[in-house]
Amino acid sequence: MINELRELYRYRELLWTLVLRELRVRYKNSYLGFFWSLIVPLVTVAVLTIVFKRVMGMVIPNYSAYVLAAFLPWMYFQTALLDSSQSVLAQIQLVKKVYFPREVLPLAAVLANLIHFGLALVVFFVYLLGYVGAPLLPSVALLPVLVVFQTLLIAGLSLIISCLNVFYEDTKYIVSIGLQLMFYLVPVIYFSEQVYHAQLASPEWQRWIYLIYHLNPIAMLMTAYRKVLLPPITVQQVGVAEKQTFASLPMDWGLLAVACAASLVVFVLGYAFFNKRKWDFAEQP
Amino acid sequence: MKDAAIILEHVSKKYRLSHQPYSSLKGILLSIFRYRRRIEVHQALNDVSLTIRHGETVGLIGVNGSGKSTLLAIIARVILPTAGKVWVNGRVAPLLQLGVGFHPDLTGLENIYFNGIILGLTRQQIAERLPAIVRFAELVEFIDTPVRAYSSGMVLRLGFAVAVHTDPEIILMDEVLAVGDEAFQHKCLRKIQEFQREGRTIVLVSHDMNQVRQVASRAIWLHQGRVMADGAAEEVVDHYLQFAEEIEKQSL
Ligand SMILES: Nc1ncnc2c1ncn2[C@@H]1O[C@H](COP(=O)(O)OP(=O)(O)OP(=O)(O)O)[C@@H](O)[C@H]1O
Ligand SMILES: [Mg+2]
Repeated sequence: MINELRELYRYRELLWTLVLRELRVRYKNSYLGFFWSLIVPLVTVAVLTIVFKRVMGMVIPNYSAYVLAAFLPWMYFQTALLDSSQSVLAQIQLVKKVYFPREVLPLAAVLANLIHFGLALVVFFVYLLGYVGAPLLPSVALLPVLVVFQTLLIAGLSLIISCLNVFYEDTKYIVSIGLQLMFYLVPVIYFSEQVYHAQLASPEWQRWIYLIYHLNPIAMLMTAYRKVLLPPITVQQVGVAEKQTFASLPMDWGLLAVACAASLVVFVLGYAFFNKRKWDFAEQP
Repeated sequence: MKDAAIILEHVSKKYRLSHQPYSSLKGILLSIFRYRRRIEVHQALNDVSLTIRHGETVGLIGVNGSGKSTLLAIIARVILPTAGKVWVNGRVAPLLQLGVGFHPDLTGLENIYFNGIILGLTRQQIAERLPAIVRFAELVEFIDTPVRAYSSGMVLRLGFAVAVHTDPEIILMDEVLAVGDEAFQHKCLRKIQEFQREGRTIVLVSHDMNQVRQVASRAIWLHQGRVMADGAAEEVVDHYLQFAEEIEKQSL
């Protein structure tokens, strides 16, 4: 794997050119360019805020900021995986003719989305400081760590998905369905505190459910984004049945460490898997 | 072996052909219910050994399916041989087929950069060679137009222009000269002759025996993955044509 990484480093200019090309192609024929990719999360969050505040009766100050803090990393996860699933297959003619480290194709898709995510985060901070008027927490210093490990997780999954999709084109459909289901298993539209207080669980099971839920590294990373970026909240739900108030839970550092370790493992395994199959791509008829 | 550009020792390539197409979920599910998926192995190259020296122009000939493209792919390091050893000494530039590697939404200029980098140039080197590339492609006034708006001949010229300006030591051509108009073919042939004078190595696959006689000094005839003949282009081509004639007679 060290040799593969060294070869990848030798081809860093190709990787960078692919990233730029991806960004350029995406906005070539549109006037608003990058703002299109902001409009999707902003509109989604606006709709979610209205529905959850007015219809479902959640009482949380600055709900939209909390949704955005998890929705932006989720968008990064989702679009990067969807983009990279097609990345090798889309260039199969080139792969059949020219030598280059094949991993640049999925990695370029991931990096292009990372740049988007970075820009979206800038907009998020403008929104947070300017509109919401929330103070910047010292824990924001941890944000780069979360971004790095999330990127490792995404890169590892992308390597596996893009490789499988060359041999089995069903992969991209499975990924897209999987992402749609996964959206409900990560804390974006609800809070991890609500998982802890899930009504089906008896008190002694609460802790276990919370734990198992967060063994999914992407779920834990989303919880961590919220806790790092925004002050703790009190979730108050004016539910159909009764009015409940959930106290905020502190960041579980142990679980975060597990999530980061898992992300690293996914990257290493994903890269090993990709390397094992990457010279078969050109043989695919 | 210092003057060798390419050495192949006992190279074999087996492709796996599955009769049940395995590239879909349906294929996988079906294969579970059959007792065993039959995997047939097709030997595209069978114990090929050859040495190509720097500065040689070698024509690869043979009937359809004889393994020529497979051999080029192995030299280009795009596929790995099943057995045997391969040494390639020098920078390889495959001449790409029409439009491969181009993005239709990007301009000619942007595509030059991408293609140059994928063929191993740095940004700096491309910037230096840009005027020459654009002039060779005769696309000065179209260079900021998206490639989508090019005619196929223009795409071909652009791709060829980039490839020949990457300063390759070894040039691989798989029937690329067959496309393109008369004038373009002439230009390509002139460029090949220039390469030959500069001492570059060229391996070209062609079904045009006159072309092989004209440009190649040596020819290698592949048949069913084996080297049938390897030597002076004239003799090997004659030998091959005789063989082809006999085959034709038999089938009548
Ligand atoms: N990706 C692949 N998977 C399975 N079999 C393949 C693959 N590529 C080529 N083959 C088989 O290997 C043999 C050699 O193919 P190759 O493309 O090298 O022939 P060729 O000499 O270039 O023929 P042509 O003159 O038609 O271009 C053929 O029988 C072909 O069916
Ligand atoms: Mg061929």
